[in-house]
Amino acid sequence: MAEVILNNVRKNYDPAIHQDTLRDINLNIANGEFIVFVGPSGCGKSTLLRMIAGLEDITSGELKIGGNYMNDVPPVDRNVGMVFQSYALYPHMDLRENMNFGLKLKKLDKKTIDERVDHASDILGLTPLLDRKPKELSGGQRQRVAIGRCIVQQPSVFLFDEPLSNLDAALRVKMRIEIAKLHKELNSTIIYVTHDQVEAMTLADKIVVLSPLNPDAPTNLEQFGEPLELYHNPANKFVAGFIGSPKMNFLAGELVEKGDKTSRIRLYTGDEIVAAVDTSSAQVGDKVELGCRPEHLVEVGHAHADCQITGTVQVTEHLGSESYVYMDVDGNDFTFKARPEFPAEAGQELKVGLPTDACYLFDKDGVAFPRTAKYNKD
Amino acid sequence: MPMVQPKSLKYRKLGTHIAICAFLCLIIFPLLMVIAISFRTGNFSVGDIIPRNPTLDHWRLALGISVENADGSITPPPFPVLTWLWNSIKVAGISAVLIVVLSTTSAYAFARMKFKGKSTILSGMLIFQMFPSVLALVAFYAFFNMIGDFIPWLGLNTHGGLILAYLGGIALHVWTIKGYFETIDPALEESAAIDGATPWQAFRLILLPLSVPILAVVFILAFIGIITEVPMASVLVQDIDKMTLAVGSQQYFYPQNLLWGDFAAAAVLSGFPITIVFLLAQRWLVGGLTAGGVKG
Amino acid sequence: MGVSTTSGLMQGKYAWLKLLLITAIVALNGYAIIMMYASGEYAFALLNLVIVASGVYVFTSKRAYAHRYIYPGMAGMVMFIIFPLLYTVGIAFTNYSGTNLLTLERVERMHLARTYTAQGGTFDFAMLESGEGKYVLQLVQDDKVLVSSPLSPISNSELSARKQTLESSEVKLSHVEQKPELEVAQIRAITQNRQFLNSLVLVTPEGDELVMSGLRKFAAQAPLFTKLDKDRVLQDSGVVIPGGSALRNNQTGELMMPNMETGFYQYIDGNAEFVGNRVTPGFTVNIGWKNFERVVKDDGIKKPFVQIFIWTVIFAGCSVAFTLAIGMVLACVIQWEELKGRAIYRVLLILPYAVPAFISILVFKGLFNQNFGEINALLNAWFGIKPDWFTDPTLAKTMILIVNTWLGYPYMMILCMGLLKSIPEDLYEASAMDGAGPIKNFFNITVPLLMKPLTPLLIASFAFNFNNFVLIQLLTSGGPDIIGATTPAGTTDLLVSYTYRIAFEGSGTQDFGLASAIATMIFLVVGAIALFNLRLTNANKSV
Repeated sequence: MAEVILNNVRKNYDPAIHQDTLRDINLNIANGEFIVFVGPSGCGKSTLLRMIAGLEDITSGELKIGGNYMNDVPPVDRNVGMVFQSYALYPHMDLRENMNFGLKLKKLDKKTIDERVDHASDILGLTPLLDRKPKELSGGQRQRVAIGRCIVQQPSVFLFDEPLSNLDAALRVKMRIEIAKLHKELNSTIIYVTHDQVEAMTLADKIVVLSPLNPDAPTNLEQFGEPLELYHNPANKFVAGFIGSPKMNFLAGELVEKGDKTSRIRLYTGDEIVAAVDTSSAQVGDKVELGCRPEHLVEVGHAHADCQITGTVQVTEHLGSESYVYMDVDGNDFTFKARPEFPAEAGQELKVGLPTDACYLFDKDGVAFPRTAKYNKD
Repeated sequence: MPMVQPKSLKYRKLGTHIAICAFLCLIIFPLLMVIAISFRTGNFSVGDIIPRNPTLDHWRLALGISVENADGSITPPPFPVLTWLWNSIKVAGISAVLIVVLSTTSAYAFARMKFKGKSTILSGMLIFQMFPSVLALVAFYAFFNMIGDFIPWLGLNTHGGLILAYLGGIALHVWTIKGYFETIDPALEESAAIDGATPWQAFRLILLPLSVPILAVVFILAFIGIITEVPMASVLVQDIDKMTLAVGSQQYFYPQNLLWGDFAAAAVLSGFPITIVFLLAQRWLVGGLTAGGVKG
Repeated sequence: MGVSTTSGLMQGKYAWLKLLLITAIVALNGYAIIMMYASGEYAFALLNLVIVASGVYVFTSKRAYAHRYIYPGMAGMVMFIIFPLLYTVGIAFTNYSGTNLLTLERVERMHLARTYTAQGGTFDFAMLESGEGKYVLQLVQDDKVLVSSPLSPISNSELSARKQTLESSEVKLSHVEQKPELEVAQIRAITQNRQFLNSLVLVTPEGDELVMSGLRKFAAQAPLFTKLDKDRVLQDSGVVIPGGSALRNNQTGELMMPNMETGFYQYIDGNAEFVGNRVTPGFTVNIGWKNFERVVKDDGIKKPFVQIFIWTVIFAGCSVAFTLAIGMVLACVIQWEELKGRAIYRVLLILPYAVPAFISILVFKGLFNQNFGEINALLNAWFGIKPDWFTDPTLAKTMILIVNTWLGYPYMMILCMGLLKSIPEDLYEASAMDGAGPIKNFFNITVPLLMKPLTPLLIASFAFNFNNFVLIQLLTSGGPDIIGATTPAGTTDLLVSYTYRIAFEGSGTQDFGLASAIATMIFLVVGAIALFNLRLTNANKSV
C-alpha cells in the first residue's frame, strides 16, 4: 500500500520535436485512493499511467511511489500491478500459469505461489477455470484473469489501462461494479484510465481530467478533484464540457452587470440571463460564455424558470423515462432534457427556462467564475 | 457460392475438369518421365514412358553401390550422391538455424524497440537484398581467400565458409518475422516486464513460444533456398567430396558424358524428400512467400 | 520500451568476463587488421575495422542497447551483401583479371626472384660415394674439376617425415687436378636427395655461386633484376627516374619500370618512354572508367552487351507475364467452390514449385536434349521433327521461356490464391445481379482488384528473373554463342550469366574488371527497380 506523488512530470517522445505529450503534471495520490485519469483520446492519460508503471521513461520531473524516488527503477521493482486494455494474457499458458508467471520469476516458493493463486481465483470466481487457456474464456472472464494476475503480485498500486473498453455495454456495467467491490476488499491504491466519464464518475474517489496538450499551455492537467466537485465546480470550460452527459450547452455573450453574488449577461441571441456567479474579478463588457447543463433546464412556467432561452427544435428523442430536445439556438447546438413525452415538433420555436442557480460562466480564456449557489431542482 | 446457378453449370464444370487434367498431364509429364528414366536400362533414351526392362542399376549407383554388368565388368558409382545430399542437408540445416536466430533477434529489435535509423535500415535491407550475389562472386572469392589465411575452417573450399556466406541473406526473413511479431500484442511483453521479466526473458518466455509457426516457416524457406543455391556453392567449393547437391548434379551433364539415367535416379532420390517437405508445409509457407516475394 | 527497462550488460558479476572477451577480440582483430593492411588488402582491413569497432561500441555502450539485437544480422549483411557489392564496384575501376591478378609488390618480388645463368657457366654434376652414407659433390667444366668435402645429405623422405624445409646453405668447393677415384652414385641418389641439393649454394674458389639447374647440372645463377634504390638520370635525355620503382636487367643492362596504365612492367628507352613488350605477370592498377568505356565503345563487347540486355528484359517481362497469366487463371479455377477435387488439383499444380529448381532445370536439360532427349523422341515419333533446342537461338529462347513458365506459375498461383480471399464475396454477388458471367467477372472484378496488391510482387518477380542465373547456367550455359564477341557471350545469356562467364569462364583471360563494370551497371538497374518498388509499396500502405 503506498501513495503516489508526481512532481512537475513532463513527457516528450521525440526531443527533436518540441511537442510535449504531458507537461507539468503535479499529483498527490494518497494511500488507498481510487484515482481515475480521464480525458479525450490523445490527452496522454495512458502515457501517464505507463510512466507510473515504468513502461515509458519520464522526460523530466519526479515520480515517487511509497516515498521512494522511482524515475529510474525498472517496472518490476516499483511494486505495481497493471491490467491492460487488451488484458495481455499469455495465450500459450493456462490460467494458473498466467497468474503464477510473475511469482515464479520472483522465485517464490511453491506453497506461497499456490496460496496466492488460489486466493485470487477464489475472490474472482476463477477456480473452476484454472486449467483453461485464455482463448477458451469469455471477455469478462479474461478481464478477471487479468485482474487476478495483478492481485497475486500483491502490488502496492494497481494500474488499470481502459480495462472495460473491450467489453459490451451490459458486461461493462457489471465489471464496473465488481471493480468497485474489489477496491473495497483490497483497500489498495488504484489508478484507473478511461475515456468514459461515467466510469470515472462512478468509480473514482478523485478524478484527474487531462486534455490534449495545447503547445502554449503551461499544463494539460485541467482539474484534479472529487467527482461531484468536478460536476458542480468545473475549473474551466474543458472540464465542464467533459464531465456530464449529455454535454453542457455553451452560449456566448457579454457581461452587462458584474457582482459578487449574481451577474447579468446578455447573450448574442438577445436573451438576458441572470447567473449566480461571482464576476467581481471581471469588467463589464467582457466577452463571456454561459454554460448550462441539459438536465438543469426547465420548461417555461416552472418555478425555477428564472430566465429564458429561445431556439428552434430540430429533433426530439423520446426515451420513455425522459426526452431529449435538440435545438438550434442562434447557430449553436443546444440540448434540453425534458420530461417524458414532452411535445416538441421539428421546426417549432421553443422557449426553455434557465434557473439562475444552475448557470456556469466562463471568461474568454475558458476559466470558470466561482459559482455562488448550488442548484437544487426540487 | 451458395447462389442459384444456371443449368449450363454442369457442362462448365466438366469442361473445367477436362482442361485442368490436360494441363496437369503436361505439367507432371517431366516429373513422371524422370522417375521412369531412373528405372530404365542404360543411359540413353528409348522413348517409352513405362520402361520395358525396369532395372535398379541407376538407383544402386545413386546410393553408392557398385553395379556388376552382364559382361562381368563392374561400374563404380560415378559420383558420391549421398555425400552431396548429406553436405547439402548439413550446410542448409546449419545455415537455416543460424539465419532463424539472426533474423529473429533483429526482427525483435525492429518490431519492438525504438532506435536511430530504424526505418532507413529496414528499407536499405530490402534494397540491398535484391542485388544478386552471383555478381559479387569475385568479391566473395577474395573475401574467403582472406578469411582462410586467418581462420582456415572458414576459408575457401570449406563448408564453414559456405555457411558463413549464406548468413548475409536475412533481410526478407527479418521482414517476415517482424511482420509476425507486430501482430502480437506488445502489452504481453509489457505485462511480463511488470511481472518481473527482463527484456530477454520476455522475449524468450513470451514472444518466442508464440512465434514458433513463423520461425518454422522461415527455417523451411531458408533451408530450401540454400539447398537450391548454385552460384555461391559452385565458386566457393571445388572438391567433389565437398560439393552440395545443387552443384554436384551438374556433373552428370558434361557434354561427352551424359549420364542421363544415373542423373534421373540421383535427382529423384534427392529431390523427393525436399519436395515432400515443401508440400507438407506449403499451407504455412504461403504467408511467408507473399511477404517475401522473391522466388519465381 | 523505455530506458528504465534496459539493464546494462556492463554491470553484474560477469562484467570482468565481458571485459576480458572484448579485450581478446580487439587484440586478435587488431593483429589481423595490421596483417591485412601490411599485405596491401586495405579493403579487408577497413571492413574488419568497421565490423569490430561498431561491434565493440554496440556491446559496450548502454545507448546502443537495441542495436545489440540487430548487430549480428546487420554485420552479416554488411559483410556478405554490402561489402561484396562495394568491392565489386571497386574492381570495376581496375584491370583485375586472369593476367593482372597480383599486386605490384608481389609482381616486383617475383621479378626480383628471377635468375639467369650468369658468368661462370654450367658445370656437369655428379655425386660420388665417400662411404658412411656421405657423398662428395663433383663438378666438371671442360677440364676444370671442382669437389666438395664429403656431405651427409638429408633425403626427401626424411624431410617430409619430419615435415621440415631446408634453409639454403653454402658449401665451399676446391680445385683438384683429377677426378677423385670414388664410385659415382646412381641417379637415384640424386633424385632421393633432390630437395637437399636444391638448397645448396656451391661457392667456387673464384667466388662464383652455383646452384642446381638440372638433374646433372649446376650453374652460376644471378638475379635477373636488381632494384634501383636511388634516383637515376638517363644519359640521353636527362630524364630522372625515381628510385624504388625501376628494375635493371642484369643480363642486358636495360631498365624496366611498372607501367601504371597497363599494369605490366615494360622496358624503357633513353627518354623514359615505354618501348618494350609487356613483361608478365601483370599487376592490378586502377584504370578509371576504361572498363565502362569498353562496354560502350568496343564493338566486340558492346554488341553482345546490348543484345543480351534486350533479351534479359524480354525474358524477365515474358516470364512474369506468362507465369502471372497462367497462375491467375488457375488460382481462380481452384478457388471455384463448385469444383470437386480442388485440394488434389491444388497440390498437383504446386508440384513444379515444390521440386527443387536445380533438379527440374537439369531434368528439362536432359529431356530437351537434341539426340537423346525424350521430348525430341516424342516429337519425332508424332510429327517427324527434331528441333535443335540448344543450337538454334530462337528455339533455345523458347525452351527457356517454357521451362521458366513451368517453374514459376505455381508461385503466381499461390500469390493470387492468397489475394483472392481478400476480394469480398458480395462483389461477385452484385455482378451476378447485373448478369455477368465468369469471364466478365474475371476481367472486370478479379484482374483489376488483384493487380494493385500484386504490382510490388510482380516487380520483385521481374527483378528476380532479371537475375535468374541458375536457370540459364544450368539449362543452356548461355549457348548458342554470339558470333563476333570478344568475351564469352551467348544468345540466351542474361546479364548476370554473361557477367559470370566473363569473370570465370574466359580461359586464362578471366576479366574480373570488365565483369565488375557490367555488374555495377546491373546493380544500378536493380537498385532503381528496388527503390521504385519500395516507393510503390509505401504508397500502397499509406492509401
